[in-house]
Amino acid sequence: MRNRLLRIAICMAMVLLLTGLIAQPAAAQIKIGFQAPVTGLAATDGKSAQIAAEMAVADINAAGGVLGKKIQLVSYDDQAKADQAIFTANKLIGEDKVKLAISGSYSGAGRAAAPIFQNAHVAFISAYGVHPDITRAGDYVFRLVILGPPQGRAAAMFIGKNLNLKRISVISMDNDYGEATLEGFLDTASKFGIKILNKYSYSLQDRQFGSIVASVKRDNPDGIYVTGYFFTGAPLVAQLRAAGVKVPVIGSQAFDSRKFIEIAGAAGNGVYIVDSFDRFRPDPSLRRFFTEFEKRAGYPPEQVAAGTYSSFILMADAIKRAGSDDPAKVRDALAKTKNFPLLVGNLVGFNKLHEVIKPVSINIVKDGQFVHFATIDDLKLLAPPEK
Amino acid sequence: MYYVDLLVIGLTFGSMYAVMAVGLTLVYGLLRILHIAHAAVFALGAYITVIVANATGSIALGLLAAIMITPFFGVAIYRLLYQPLLSYRPDVPMIASIGLLVLMQDGFRIVFGEQGVAFRNNPYAIQTFDLHGVTINTVQIAMMVAAALIFFGLHAFTTWTRIGVGWRATVSNAKIAASFGVDAIKVRYTNFIIGSALAAVAGGLVALLDNFVDPRTGVIVSYKGLAIIVLGGLGSVRGTLIAALVLGIVESFGTIFIGSWLNRDAIAFLALIILLMVRPQGFTGARAA
Repeated sequence: MRNRLLRIAICMAMVLLLTGLIAQPAAAQIKIGFQAPVTGLAATDGKSAQIAAEMAVADINAAGGVLGKKIQLVSYDDQAKADQAIFTANKLIGEDKVKLAISGSYSGAGRAAAPIFQNAHVAFISAYGVHPDITRAGDYVFRLVILGPPQGRAAAMFIGKNLNLKRISVISMDNDYGEATLEGFLDTASKFGIKILNKYSYSLQDRQFGSIVASVKRDNPDGIYVTGYFFTGAPLVAQLRAAGVKVPVIGSQAFDSRKFIEIAGAAGNGVYIVDSFDRFRPDPSLRRFFTEFEKRAGYPPEQVAAGTYSSFILMADAIKRAGSDDPAKVRDALAKTKNFPLLVGNLVGFNKLHEVIKPVSINIVKDGQFVHFATIDDLKLLAPPEK
Repeated sequence: MYYVDLLVIGLTFGSMYAVMAVGLTLVYGLLRILHIAHAAVFALGAYITVIVANATGSIALGLLAAIMITPFFGVAIYRLLYQPLLSYRPDVPMIASIGLLVLMQDGFRIVFGEQGVAFRNNPYAIQTFDLHGVTINTVQIAMMVAAALIFFGLHAFTTWTRIGVGWRATVSNAKIAASFGVDAIKVRYTNFIIGSALAAVAGGLVALLDNFVDPRTGVIVSYKGLAIIVLGGLGSVRGTLIAALVLGIVESFGTIFIGSWLNRDAIAFLALIILLMVRPQGFTGARAA
């Protein structure tokens, strides 16, 4: 008798369980996958990207979501490493079944993840990874930041034409980011009358540049072009000034961070940063972004945060224009984007390779603040590659 | 003048490596353990210097705090990590040490933040002197002076003080030293206290030079420190100094002349490989019979 009751009870429990599993309320959510280097050597940028992503999703959902559904952020830490990027990409596709994804990580990681998303036909935006190979993975991959070589070309034009400096020493970071940016600079330097006196390279973990500084001093250039991140650029600039090298220093995009100013101190003043986030554009959404981000993060946002936030806003807009979250339709809607306002400026459009077409803003550090200095809007020079 | 400049820079790098690596060689000489977590002690010293200096406004106080706090950490590593593992093969505590270093790196990120910390007011990083065309800054001078004082001080300590002589005896032959009344435990504690304090000095000076400490700070020197003590002859303090200076100079010249196809660390290790092939026992190690 007891045995029979027990068996009935178990069967009922299983039926209830199965019903519960099958009759799930239709998930009225659109998932967007996200990779950011929250731990590891890029943790600083990873934290900014993560907070910007969360903020963007919260803002989109607060405004009613997209197509009546809420956005669900599915994010993983890729530690800015290729193997982790591949692993988390597969997880996003296989387990979480995302059809749309954004990379808030470095070029090395983005480069590894892009082909995986392409093969799975997932629409993918690289928020700030600049290596050319990322978009070459295929037509589902978009990049929302100007890639390395055009940034380098803009720097060459800025140094040769705007600043009229001709004899330049170049110090470059030897990773994907630094090399890609340098490539563009080297290609067009002679076009603007720039003579490269010497090229030096350093790696991600270097913080002491004693011998490079001594050699630059010997070169006696008119100006110095540096590619790298704020945590290498700031010590480098401080050491250059400490050694008595007073000529202008022009840095690359990743110098753009509050921390750069903090570490370099007085030495940071007068440094130019190419494709740096123009913070003082008269745009009310920009001011709101600043206050909200600073409230969440405890420090003001920089290029990484602005780029990541804009990627989500653009993705949401593309879903709306496509009328569905089908990745092929979203991809087409993204490709058709014209004159879309990003936090970092106006997105003119995407080219055939799904690279952005937009002007380059250049900041100068003045009295411990990033101040807009110039804009390079020669879109022909900045034209990203078509393949 | 340019080459003298590079030489001076090489000596500065070398002094920094020397002060950092001497703690490693002390531990190896005594316990035959490769104390890789020493890099975490070094990084902790750097962090404490910046944080205390920013809180109190005095860099000297920051350095002092680092020198006084890190020995506790160093001794704790010995007591909690190495002492229980002494009965095993030497690579067991070494692996534990590596594990601790990896843990500490992320630990620093969690405790102090991934953005790193910088001095709020550090005039020394940009204070320079011009000696006959060679530019050198205050911190670089401080590093070389510190290295000289430390090595001389260690020599004096191990030759003219009771504890120092006892330490040297224990390193040579622990059993006989114990039978003469030298307390092995006291020697070990002294060893870790001194080694950690020196690491703190190195850390504090590096923090002053870079004006920045982030979770990566320790890792940069961890494997190089290992290379240096191997090159110097494991357990030899004098060898460590020589090896560190040689490595510093090789890096300084190497980054300029072959920096386009090999980065700084690669150059350092290439030099290490070549030097060890020529002299496997290191600079001052005894030739294996």
